[in-house]
Amino acid sequence: MKGASLKLWRVTKRFRNVVAVDNLNLEVDRGEFIVLLGPSGCGKTTTLRIIAGLETPDEGRVYIDDVDVTDLEPGERDVAMVFQDYALYPHITVFENIAFPLVVRARKLSLTKRDIEEKVLNVAKMLKIDDLLDRKPTQLSGGQQQRAALARALVKEPKIWLMDEPLSNLDALIRLQVRAEIKKLQKDLGITTVYVTHDQTEALSLADRVAVMNRGRILQIGSPREIYDDPKHIFVATFVGVPPMNLLECRVSDVLECPGFRRKLPEESKEYFKRLNKIYIGIRPEHIEIVSKEEGDLEGVVYVIEPLGPEYIINVLVDDTLIKIKTVKEYTLHSGDKVYLKINWAKAIAFDTATGLSLGKISIA
Amino acid sequence: MRGKLLRTMLINLIVWTLALAWALPYIGVVAVSAMPYKEVVTEGWLRIPNVDSLTLRNYIEALTNPLYDLATGYRNSLIVASISTLIPLIAAALAAYAFSNLDFRLKPLLFGLVLVIMMVPQQLTVVPLFFLYRNLGLYDTMQGIILLHSAWGIAWITFFLRNYFKFIPRSLIEAARVDGASDFRIFSKIVLPLSVPGLIAAALLQFTWVWNDLFYALVFLISRENQVITQKVVMLKGEYHIDWGLLTAGSVISMSMPVILYAVFNKYFMKGVAAWGVKR
Repeated sequence: MKGASLKLWRVTKRFRNVVAVDNLNLEVDRGEFIVLLGPSGCGKTTTLRIIAGLETPDEGRVYIDDVDVTDLEPGERDVAMVFQDYALYPHITVFENIAFPLVVRARKLSLTKRDIEEKVLNVAKMLKIDDLLDRKPTQLSGGQQQRAALARALVKEPKIWLMDEPLSNLDALIRLQVRAEIKKLQKDLGITTVYVTHDQTEALSLADRVAVMNRGRILQIGSPREIYDDPKHIFVATFVGVPPMNLLECRVSDVLECPGFRRKLPEESKEYFKRLNKIYIGIRPEHIEIVSKEEGDLEGVVYVIEPLGPEYIINVLVDDTLIKIKTVKEYTLHSGDKVYLKINWAKAIAFDTATGLSLGKISIA
Repeated sequence: MRGKLLRTMLINLIVWTLALAWALPYIGVVAVSAMPYKEVVTEGWLRIPNVDSLTLRNYIEALTNPLYDLATGYRNSLIVASISTLIPLIAAALAAYAFSNLDFRLKPLLFGLVLVIMMVPQQLTVVPLFFLYRNLGLYDTMQGIILLHSAWGIAWITFFLRNYFKFIPRSLIEAARVDGASDFRIFSKIVLPLSVPGLIAAALLQFTWVWNDLFYALVFLISRENQVITQKVVMLKGEYHIDWGLLTAGSVISMSMPVILYAVFNKYFMKGVAAWGVKR
């Protein structure tokens, strides 16, 4: 099995007056695992359906291996899709379900009954459901149904594997297990994969590259590290990360006036920031530390502490802004205690309040 | 606890009373059909039948006497009702698939047309149909009445099955489409097998409707050899004299087919009709 490259070029899709996908460009390399991440209604599923051919774009083209497939039927595109509800046919056995894509094209691919049997068995063994082939889908557990759906998608050796929130109906434990398996399968088989989810943990753990979408547009596309460490848009910064990035609204004059503290701007970037009048400073919860009074950048009052097992989320109120701090250290703090915070400025990012775009690292020592 | 018991008893009482009121005429009909004429007129119909005088004479008379000719009627009804069920079921299933799964021009308009046809009273069309049938040579033929019932059937069954097909999750059909299945394969391998209760419910309703029809039969079937069972049963009633035993035996014979079918397919019928009322 070998993956294909995929390209979406200026794709737009409208539903009545709603623009679901807005002039979207996307290039996926052979064998790459791309995750489309975004809140519901951001157009990620529509994008996937356009790739599958289940929706026709109003504008733009879709290319698979540099062949324009925009006007091809779904069945002619050599893609496979895994649906959120698995979409297993309830009236036939698991075997017949997995065999379905082959039976449909048996004549075209000149497959004999025996060929089909062999292929189904192979893929069933790979997914460890070869002992369940005689059952009906309703007799399987959620995780087994998911495997059967994955098997059906793999059996025809597709060029591109499409997955629409395939894990969202599973229990948390099984989800972790299947998640790792999907990644392993994808890497072993080298199938180009486009995966849609609203779950950022899923996205970061699976993807070679993550495309964060909102309102029909891709706001940023990059490796999970890039998305997490260097968000290019305020939406990416706040959508990715648990808890999301802290945003401090700061006024810019000769100095930077933030909630709870003032800082001198470095000479070289002073002019750059000054024209903006106002900026957000984004800082991830794990890049703020609780320190002694002498070391502290700013002072706040503990609002509430949320223990999460291995780590703690400490909510600190600075002026009227709630700042979340993630730490593995144990503190003997209580609501109302005064604390001093130190920001790791090397990790801080400035955002334009008007456009939401990143202004890059803000280097104030 | 006591209140709950009282409630259950009250509900049971009401339901049983209603059921009895509903079933009593049928029980009466079946009872009378097995009684000699003399007993019915002297002792009345609503009583425990006298076991010694129970007889099958009424049935034998109704079925075999060439004067009444119920057997021919039964045969004709079977032919008319089965074909008038099969034709619209096939045609409507195809139409319903198109309405539920395909996009085409004028779809809302055409679907509106289906609804309008459903709502037209049959009586309204009978006069123009009479002339049309006379001119086409379809008057007083079984083909003619089969076409007529099929045409009415297609409209409501299309509507019924479209709603039923809408219950099939879209992802099933889309999955098949991505796998390269043609519309006909999706229809025959996925949509139809998953709609068996709906198909059975529609078939039962249509079959019973056609079987019980008297109005169209009276207008369009004239000759003795073409007449259906409902017409024959009416003729068991003389102008001046009613043989109650004979008439009820005829009614029981006439009812037997729908009753057997419902008894056999009741489970599917309930499932199928349950889907009918739910909006989706």
